Amino acid sequence: MHSVIRPNSWVVIKLPSGVTKVLSIVPNTTISLGKYGSFPANLILGRPYHVTYEIQDKRPDESFSRLRIVPASELYEEVFAEEAAAGCSTPSAAEPAGVATDGELTLVDAESGEIVTRSTEELIETARQTLTQDEIEELKREGNNAGKDVIAKLLSSHTALDQKTSFSLAKYKLLKQKKYIRRFQILPMDVATLAHWQLEEREASKIMDMRAEMLALVGCWGNVHYGGEDVFLEDPKAASDQGVEACAKVQHDLLKGRWLVVDDTGGLLVAAMAERMGILNTDADEDEVAPEATDAPEVSRSTESAAVKEEKQGVDTEMADTTDATAPPPEKPKLLKPRASDFEIPFSQTNTITVVHGASQPNLSFLSYWDFDAVSPNHPPHPLLNHLLTLSWLQLLKPELDTSYSTPPLTATPETLSSWKPSRRGNFHRKRRRFARTRHIVDTTRAGGFNGLVCASSMDPISILKHSLPLLAGGAPVAIYSPTLEPLAVLADLFSVSRRTAWSSGSLPELAGKSPEELENWQGSENFPLNPLLLLGTSIQTSRARRWQVLPGRTHPLMTERGGTDGFIFTAWKAKPAEGKVAARGRFKRKADAVAGEGEATPDLDPKRVKVEENSAVESEATGTPA
Amino acid sequence: MEPTSRQKVSPFLDPGSITKPNSLAVIQLSRDNFVPVYLKQVDGEHDGYAEGAVLNTRFGSFPHSTLIGVPWGSQIRASKVDTGSRGRKRKRQGADDATEGASSEANESNKNQKNDQASAEGLNGTKQAVADSSGFVHILPPTPEIWTTSLPHRTQVVYTPDYSYVLYRLRAKPGSTIIEAGAGSGSFTHASVRAVYNGYPAEGKRTGKVISFEYNEDRYHKMQEEIGEHGLKGLVHLAHRNVYKDGFLLDGKSPEADAVFLDLPAPWEALHHLSRTKPKKDGEEQNGDAEWVSPLHPKKSAHLCTFSPCIEQVTKTVSAMRRLGWIDIEMVEIANRKLHTLRDRVGLNLQIDRGVNNSPRDVEEALTRLTEIEDRFRENARPRPAAEDTEMGEDDISGEAEGVSKPATNGKPKVEAPKPKFPWQDGRLITRGEPEIKTHTSYLVFATLPIEWSEEDEAAATQKYPVGEEQKQVVGTLDRKSRKEERRAELQNKSGNRKARKQERDAKIAEAMTTTTA
Repeated sequence: MHSVIRPNSWVVIKLPSGVTKVLSIVPNTTISLGKYGSFPANLILGRPYHVTYEIQDKRPDESFSRLRIVPASELYEEVFAEEAAAGCSTPSAAEPAGVATDGELTLVDAESGEIVTRSTEELIETARQTLTQDEIEELKREGNNAGKDVIAKLLSSHTALDQKTSFSLAKYKLLKQKKYIRRFQILPMDVATLAHWQLEEREASKIMDMRAEMLALVGCWGNVHYGGEDVFLEDPKAASDQGVEACAKVQHDLLKGRWLVVDDTGGLLVAAMAERMGILNTDADEDEVAPEATDAPEVSRSTESAAVKEEKQGVDTEMADTTDATAPPPEKPKLLKPRASDFEIPFSQTNTITVVHGASQPNLSFLSYWDFDAVSPNHPPHPLLNHLLTLSWLQLLKPELDTSYSTPPLTATPETLSSWKPSRRGNFHRKRRRFARTRHIVDTTRAGGFNGLVCASSMDPISILKHSLPLLAGGAPVAIYSPTLEPLAVLADLFSVSRRTAWSSGSLPELAGKSPEELENWQGSENFPLNPLLLLGTSIQTSRARRWQVLPGRTHPLMTERGGTDGFIFTAWKAKPAEGKVAARGRFKRKADAVAGEGEATPDLDPKRVKVEENSAVESEATGTPA
Repeated sequence: MEPTSRQKVSPFLDPGSITKPNSLAVIQLSRDNFVPVYLKQVDGEHDGYAEGAVLNTRFGSFPHSTLIGVPWGSQIRASKVDTGSRGRKRKRQGADDATEGASSEANESNKNQKNDQASAEGLNGTKQAVADSSGFVHILPPTPEIWTTSLPHRTQVVYTPDYSYVLYRLRAKPGSTIIEAGAGSGSFTHASVRAVYNGYPAEGKRTGKVISFEYNEDRYHKMQEEIGEHGLKGLVHLAHRNVYKDGFLLDGKSPEADAVFLDLPAPWEALHHLSRTKPKKDGEEQNGDAEWVSPLHPKKSAHLCTFSPCIEQVTKTVSAMRRLGWIDIEMVEIANRKLHTLRDRVGLNLQIDRGVNNSPRDVEEALTRLTEIEDRFRENARPRPAAEDTEMGEDDISGEAEGVSKPATNGKPKVEAPKPKFPWQDGRLITRGEPEIKTHTSYLVFATLPIEWSEEDEAAATQKYPVGEEQKQVVGTLDRKSRKEERRAELQNKSGNRKARKQERDAKIAEAMTTTTA
């Protein structure tokens, strides 16, 4: 996160009414906030986030409004006054001040409930307000001290103000403030803010109604975190007449810190995971390296983009990106290096997100708020460029049917190449590069060993797990979000105790003669859509944050909150079942006392007895309640 | 990872693909029952076990040798471990270790046998574990989530639903510095390390850190031990301190934190240390005129969360926050629910089993059964014709017997419904909450402190981004009037263009015509 607002960055503007706006701050423009007024963008550039700005009246000699930073003491003026009135000027004196009984509130009866009802029926605001709408408009037009005068005037011309309880007065003031006060706040664009904005003010369905709590839980249960320093494969230095055989091989031991993501939230989930892995923000490093030189990043950015134009695209972009990384991997002597060959892999082997998508292109449109465009061919440096791998389900499951994977790369001798027109040559290289990249993505993904699966998809979770479970490393967590409970319940049922028991009993005909690999890659049968032993500790949960209003004497939960779908997550860990039959143990004397009671002592039980013991044992074990 | 491999990476951050000796692993006994284990590779006998270090659980004994070097997530079979003679042997050794009683002869021979076996296996004098016939566990890599459920409780624990939300709201990301006061049992510490981790500190590189404070000396020492064992040294800086009094600085230097989590009984007592400028506590100047240093990052907005169980604490905290200039103060509480899925089996035709409700599944089933009972009743009550009586004598007896036995077996109707083939597909799939839910953990108060903005800063910014040369372009919403105006201008412009274009085109055509005709 940046310390100050930068030119052309996306920001979130919070208005007094609670409405938020998402804008890109372009220098030398005017920013208009509708009825709250407008101001030059340059007045907020280079200024801090989170503070409250106030749009001041235009000075007589200027054509624009200047801004003022409102100190917190002014924001809380009224609260402080209330606290003082209630006799709790110090925070330590917090009596249960439900009903204040001093001078200011003489109208208040001993029982507050009664008052509140009376006040609502008595005070119909419009009737008591002597100012007409025209007068208010007039007031607004002339200089009004950022709306404060309007509010003061409104209050003073209210005939029944003295009949209001302190509660309704506070409410009335708040209402008017929301409407007239010309203040706003600027928040940096991060996942939490974007998700909140999308959920509350845009289309919640676009992000599958994913609330902050759920987004946070999915990230934690998916154990998504920074997955280690970047490691790049060595450039195979393939000549232009070399084909597939020259492609860099997948090096399993280098692959580390990789997460598999299935995202139908338009990229929000990917953004959240990328944020957790430290690959979402372009200049997290720049901030660290040169916190005092605020203009340095701009310079470097422009030089970089120049460099990008100079060189070609894609691969070179990635090179430029690594130049500003603080600790480049030793394998990459940048700058001195000659131009990378077509088959150089721009992707890091560690700390990556692999997105599997159902359409031919991934929908990651929300990443544009962090200046990342998944399809842009000539992209300015961005950490996601070499940490985000995308492939379709077709490429993952049936790569031979995918053209870009299965078509062998074009080849040409250097002589023919030099005889071509530059545009044709460019095309030739571009296609070869694309081939190498697709090849790498598909091959590394199919190699498996992922450190976790995070999923928020409208597709059936069972089908997703069927194909992704074999790709997970042992012990890797699985976190699946669903707006509704039902799909997850059906999924969890596939790992029920009775299924596990039946599967491990060894008596199922469909499992006979299957090798461990075949069981691991279980493609599903009618009775067992998934291998029930492949996941451990399956669990479903939901979380909800209840927000409270905290004001002196008026602390209570908010009256309304967002409804709709609750959102649930399914969590589990990938297991590596032992080969062969495994009998459980536990206290299992419930069913077959006589038989199982001796079970532990005599190891050579006949198979029938073992089975009885095992069934009940698995059950008691899996439910965690010894019978 | 190679460049930093000198530092042993914590199993929480990178467990590798297989289990390693001298590292933390978590044994999953059952669904929610985890046991943390430090895997030990021991040469020879250990603690009386021929197999080396052994983990004993109610699902069997597991020599560490069977737990080391396996892929994470593996199902591990229990081993045959002689747990009985070990205890006896010890007792005996304590009493008299010179003489060998005749009664222990069998034991001794057993031991010899084992030794033979061990030497035969040739495994550094450690007995090779032999798989038992039953019992297993799974071995999992430690994560903050598992650790939170299995850690040794020292104080109230911050659970996953809370800490996940807190870290999300605190904007903790790789590279952040988090101050945590009240390390407690360490669950938040582990979660926040994972969130801020972006490599172990190396020269010239600022990496994410957790600065943790603990007041209780016992807890501090235990926590310190844990940090070492978990390979978190360098990532967590733990200090034994009363933060109310002594604040959050490290050796007088600012940790430059951008996020703060206070799990303290009285957060308001510590808040004044978290200001940007020298605060006045309770209106009076703090004594000590040495230069005051803020523990917060000077160039980043600071996010704060306090964790208090009582509403009174919240009131005081919020009041203090307001006075110290914190903004966007919001209080929430997190309600988390776990759901179990199970099969709800209701019906008359089901086998009697635990959890089966042997009552009619629906009205039809009830009706069938009632009709049947009614039929039988009528049949019994009706005086039978003599001929039929003799003819049906035998049948009747069996029928009667059925009538008696049926209610005992829950009155199965005559036409059995086709029984589902597999027990796990029986009944309706339902979800149910846990028997006991956590209805309240604590109130979370969030707040933000923007950076300090001085006159000089403002002047510099003004100089860098001068005002007054705005182009026409307006970003954002316009009020209605100017929007209309703009639209009108746009339309006019367009139509003007169109007209101009048309004229141009006409002129061109005319020209072409003249040239061709010429």
